[in-house]
Amino acid sequence: MPVLECRGLTKRFGRTAALDEVSLAIEPGRIVGLLGPNGSGKTTLIKLANGLLTPDGGYIAVCGAAPGRESHGLVSYLPERTAIPTWMTARQLLDFYGDFYQDFRRDAAEEMLDHLNIRPAQAIKQMSKGTREKVQLIMVMSRAAKLYLLDEPIGGVDPATRDYILSTIIGNYNPEAAVVISTHLIADVEKVLDEVIFISQGRVALQSTVDDIREEKGMSVDALFREVFKC
Amino acid sequence: MLRKLLKHEFRATGRVMLPMYLILLVTAVGSNLAGRKMLNGRSEVLDTLGVIVIMAFGFAIAGAMLMSFVLMIQRFYKNLLQDEGYLMFTLPVSVHHHIWAKLIVSAVWFAATVLAIILASLIVAFQGGFLREMLDFFSYLFNGLRLLKAGEAINGTVYLAELAVLLFLSLAAFSLQFYAALSAGHSRANHKMLWSVAWFFGFQFALQFAGSLLFIGLGRTGIPDMLNFSWDISPVAAIHIGLLFSIGIVVLYGAIFYAVTAFFLKKHLNLE
Amino acid sequence: MQWQFSNDAPIYTQLIQQVKVGIVTGAFPPGERLPSVRDMATEAGVNPNTMQRALAELERDGLVYSQRTTGRFVTEDNTMINQAKRSLAQRHVKTFLEAMLRLGFQREEIIDLITQEFGKEDGTHAGA
Repeated sequence: MPVLECRGLTKRFGRTAALDEVSLAIEPGRIVGLLGPNGSGKTTLIKLANGLLTPDGGYIAVCGAAPGRESHGLVSYLPERTAIPTWMTARQLLDFYGDFYQDFRRDAAEEMLDHLNIRPAQAIKQMSKGTREKVQLIMVMSRAAKLYLLDEPIGGVDPATRDYILSTIIGNYNPEAAVVISTHLIADVEKVLDEVIFISQGRVALQSTVDDIREEKGMSVDALFREVFKC
Repeated sequence: MLRKLLKHEFRATGRVMLPMYLILLVTAVGSNLAGRKMLNGRSEVLDTLGVIVIMAFGFAIAGAMLMSFVLMIQRFYKNLLQDEGYLMFTLPVSVHHHIWAKLIVSAVWFAATVLAIILASLIVAFQGGFLREMLDFFSYLFNGLRLLKAGEAINGTVYLAELAVLLFLSLAAFSLQFYAALSAGHSRANHKMLWSVAWFFGFQFALQFAGSLLFIGLGRTGIPDMLNFSWDISPVAAIHIGLLFSIGIVVLYGAIFYAVTAFFLKKHLNLE
Repeated sequence: MQWQFSNDAPIYTQLIQQVKVGIVTGAFPPGERLPSVRDMATEAGVNPNTMQRALAELERDGLVYSQRTTGRFVTEDNTMINQAKRSLAQRHVKTFLEAMLRLGFQREEIIDLITQEFGKEDGTHAGA
C-alpha cells in the first residue's frame, strides 16, 4: 500500500488552482524529491497531506486514510517555518514530543541535541535561528514515523548546515517509511533521492527514479530540471 | 490527549500568571504595611514610599485582570493560528480537544485571578485585630442569617451560586466569541486580523439583534402574562427563573460560537 | 575516504567504482568488515537504497561477501583485488589515451611524453 496517494487532487485559492488534478503514489522505503520552482504547488500538496488545508476536489490518503488525527500519528512533518514554541526549553520540547507521539525516540533526540552542545535547560528563545531549525529537524527525525514530509529542509542554509541536515535525515529515518523532501535546490539533494516528482504550475510534470534519468538521459536530475523548467 | 494538551497549556500560561499572582500578593503585603506603618505623616520619604506601594498594588490588580484576558486571546492566536499552529494542528489530537484545552485553561485563570484578588484584598485589610474583626463579622452575619427562615437562607445561597455560575459561563462564552472571530478571520488569505475584528463586531451585532428579537418575541408570546397572572409566581421564584434563563442563553451563545470555531478550524484552516 | 560524484553517470555505478578504489587502495583492507549500509550512505551523502544496490553489485562480482549475521566483508582473495586494480588502471589508461588521440598525438609521441614525464619525476627525486 502506498504511504501517500493522491488521485485527481485539486486545491484552489480564489480562482487560481494551486494544485490541478494531481495523481501520484509514494511507496514505503523510498526517499522522494518533490521538485519544482517556487509557487508550483509543493507546499500546498504537503499541507493537504497534513490536513492543514482541505482539498476542493479529488482524493488524498496517508497510509490509506484521509489526513486527520490518526494520520498525524504516522506522519512526521517539518514545516517550512520554525513552529516549535520558543518559550520552551529543550527538555520541555522533548517532553512535548514524547507526550504526543508514541513513536518518538527520546534517547536519539537527546543524543543529537547533545552533539550540537545544546543543554536541556536551554530555552529555544535563546538559540539562533539556525539552531532552532536544527532542533526542529532533530525532533522530526527522531520519530519512527511511516511518512516524513519535509518542506524545504535546506532552503537558505550554508553548505555545512546542508550537509548536517541531509546526513541527519539519511542517518535517522525509519527504513520502512517514505521520505518526501520538497525543494527547488536540486543539485544539493539529488544524491540522496531514489525518486523525483517534478511539479509545475500545480501539475505533475514527471515522476521517475534518479538513476533512470541519469542512465537514460545521460544527465543529472538538476540538468533535466533546468531543461524542463527553462524560462 | 486532552489531559496532555492541558498539561502543556498550563505550562505555557503558568509561567506568566503565577509570577503575576506573586506580584499581586507581595504588593498586597506591602500595601498592608504601608497602610499601618508608613502613611502616618511622620516622614515624607515613608509617605511617598507608601503611596507608591499602594499604587503598585492597584496596578498589580489591573495587571492580573488584563493579563488573564490578554493570555486568553494571545494563546489561541499565537499557539493555533500563527507559526506554532503548524505543530499544534499536526498533533494526533482532535480540533475539539484543542478548543477545550484553550477554553478550560483560560477559564481556570479567570477564576484564579478572581480568587487571588479577593485573597490580596484580605491581606491588605489585615491588621492586629483583623482576625477578631473578621470573626465578629461572620458571627454577626450568622446571627443575622439565623433570623432568616430556612427557605430564605437557601434561596440566598442558591442566588449567589447561580450568579457565580452565570459569571463564569459568561466569561467562557465571551472567550469563545473571540475564538470564533479569530478562527473565522484567519480563514481568509489576507488581512486576517482585520477580518477577525470585523467578525467580532459582526457577532456582537448579531447577538444584540438576536437579544432584542428575543425580548420582542417573548413579549408577543404572552409568556410574561402567564408568569404574572396564570401561575402567580412569587418574586423569589421569578429571580431564579430569570437567572436560570440567563444561564441557558449564555450556554446557547457559547455553544454557537464553539460550533463556529470548530467549523473554521476543521474545514477552513488557512495558516500563513 | 573521499566521495565525489559527477553529473553524467548513475550514482550507483559511481559508488561501485569508488568502493572498488577504496578496496584497492586499502581504505577498506582485505578481510575487513565494511560499515553498515546506512553508515556508508551517510558518510557518502547518498541514499541508503543506492548504496545497498552498489554493494549488492560488488557482492555479485565477488569483491565483497556478506555473512548473514555479522555484516559485509571485503574479500581476502588477493588475486581478485589485483584484478580489480588492473581493470581500474586499464580504465584510466583508456580514457587518457582517448584524450591524447583526440589532441592528435601519435603512439610514439605519447610514449615519449610519458618517458619524459617519468624522467622529470626521477630528476626531482634525485634532486630531493
